[in-house]
Amino acid sequence: MSTRQMLTDSAERIFADHCTKALLDGAQEGEFPGDLWAVLKENGFAELATADSGFELGDAFAVLKVAGRHAAPLPLAEIMLGNRWLGSADRLVSVGLVDGDVVRDVPWGRRADAVIALDPSGGPPSVLEVTQVDSTGSNLAGEARDVLALTAALPLGSNEPGLELLALARVAQMAGALERILELTLRYANEREQFGRPIARFQAIQHNLAVMAAEVAAAVRIADAAVDALGGERFEFEVAAAKSRVGEAAGVCAESAHQIHGAMGFTHEHQLHHFTRRVWAWREEFGNEIYWRRRLGDHIAGLGADAVWDFLATRG
Amino acid sequence: MLQFDSMELPEETVALRSEVRSFLDSEHSHLTRRNSDFGSGHDPEFSRKLGAKGWIGMAWPKAYGGGERTFFERYVVTEELLSAGAPVGAHWIADRQSGPLLLRFGTEAQREKYIPPITRGESYFSIGMSEPNSGSDLASVRTTASKVADGWVVNGTKLWSTDAHRNNYMIALVRTEPPSENRHAGLSQVIIDLHDDGAQIRPIKNIAGHEDFNEVVFEDVLIPEDRLVGEPGNGWEQVTSELAYERAGPERFLSSFRVFVELVRAVGKDPLPHEADAIGRIASHLMALRRMSISVAGMLEAGKSPQVEAALVKELGNNFEKLLPEIARLAAPDGLSGDEERLRSFRSTFTDTLLGSPSFTIRGGTREILRGVIARGLGLR
Repeated sequence: MSTRQMLTDSAERIFADHCTKALLDGAQEGEFPGDLWAVLKENGFAELATADSGFELGDAFAVLKVAGRHAAPLPLAEIMLGNRWLGSADRLVSVGLVDGDVVRDVPWGRRADAVIALDPSGGPPSVLEVTQVDSTGSNLAGEARDVLALTAALPLGSNEPGLELLALARVAQMAGALERILELTLRYANEREQFGRPIARFQAIQHNLAVMAAEVAAAVRIADAAVDALGGERFEFEVAAAKSRVGEAAGVCAESAHQIHGAMGFTHEHQLHHFTRRVWAWREEFGNEIYWRRRLGDHIAGLGADAVWDFLATRG
Repeated sequence: MLQFDSMELPEETVALRSEVRSFLDSEHSHLTRRNSDFGSGHDPEFSRKLGAKGWIGMAWPKAYGGGERTFFERYVVTEELLSAGAPVGAHWIADRQSGPLLLRFGTEAQREKYIPPITRGESYFSIGMSEPNSGSDLASVRTTASKVADGWVVNGTKLWSTDAHRNNYMIALVRTEPPSENRHAGLSQVIIDLHDDGAQIRPIKNIAGHEDFNEVVFEDVLIPEDRLVGEPGNGWEQVTSELAYERAGPERFLSSFRVFVELVRAVGKDPLPHEADAIGRIASHLMALRRMSISVAGMLEAGKSPQVEAALVKELGNNFEKLLPEIARLAAPDGLSGDEERLRSFRSTFTDTLLGSPSFTIRGGTREILRGVIARGLGLR
């Protein structure tokens, strides 16, 4: 068994144990999942992406896919990448976007030990070692997203492509969540009976599930391809294609999943929304489909019509 | 859960890809009306040139003229030809499915007779599956082949047989036993000589005004004994294996590719935001589909039989082939922009593709049939 497989198996066990409906509901109400955070630290996941962890960066994204499968209510991507960039081990590092004199959309900013501020207009990233919460809030999935004052920012010592790596993190999380959404929907369609038989026996339902399965397979494949491109010269464009394509799959799959679940899946009581609302939120974060398509499209147009095929026909 | 593993094309495909591109650069006379739809160009001279390069029957045994090369090498040649819009229609069916079928189920004499001319790009095959009353419900075919002293007598009608009026042979699915409780029993495949056996071939004009597909009528057509492929009664299993070859190749998502190329040409190197958006969106779909298709090639190379995965690639790919021209037409400058001269190449490529596009989700198994195959793979049937 590969190292990555052992790692994801271990992550699967931890997240499956901890990410219960009750934990997800509580996190949405502002309860910080302290036990999960302690277990993740204890098992070395916070420092997984650091230079001397002994793991590849791709391993961290494999774990993020598992975290997405379970809607883990902690900013694990920000923690892993943040500790990598700050040279620390297991601090609760979060990441937000510079917007005038504040840093917004900071996951669990109210609990963060340090916050990295990315500048979407292209300025250099900085780090806030002392945080001052301006306001607390959440994204449409109920995940904590806070606003911090942009004060006492220090330059960040890393020159890695922050926006691309965080966009890839959302891609990996969405891939995992989409697999889960498909599983939940297949299970529901096989269990729910109408007209004397499981609704999965109806052709209309089967076709919707087939379309979902195809979208999920495409999303997972292109997400894996972008992870495989880490450190390569095409990385930026593989991320662009993946964030756009997976974002598109997210819309299709969330819609169909809710349709097949009927009114039951529209309730807070059902767990489906913890996954569908997350893919709706994550497709917007760190650049939505339009943002990344334009970057990819500008690049391809610049290559010229007769170089389009050569750009697409890579070996990997 | 359906799994498409990461798969890198092996090193030896790099030189091969360059070789195909150099070849295409020197064959511009065959590329005057570029179209990535595999069925759009029937050019025997071009097929013979490909045969001479060793690019037909690439993965077949050398004993029959094949190249004993990998599925990956075949994949690379195929996608280079299609993306360039080369006319591959003449040899396409023979190379993709008739040859593999005969190699797997045919007699030694049949292999020796039929395979080498296919690899030389000289012998072309048509499909004989659909009938006037049998489309998606293929097992309901009514064309019969009755055993007589000196062979088989064929009666019935085959429909939608692409290029039957231009090709050498058809492999027809026929009933050799009357229908029974088991609808899949009693079917067989026979080789029809489209020039000499006396079948009546009538081209059918399509919506583009082209005569590519045909009605082929058999009235007491006598064919020799040695035209039966495989065991009598084994036709259903054979035809199913043939369809698996038909479903996951690059032809299932590249049919409208030239529209993308002409869109990029039309908008130029400094696109408007909505033009860049369309280009990026199309590219993101192509990048995902191509990797899934290569993953299936990897499964075939490993000796697996990825029928559900192949159906899934075809489902996604065919829908995308239809979506691509729709995205492109709304991104390209419109008819009021006064730029028609510059857009001429985009317009003609778009028109050719759009008029061919209804077939994309019908041929090789309709979208609805494929969704059923996927549903079965998901355990829903």
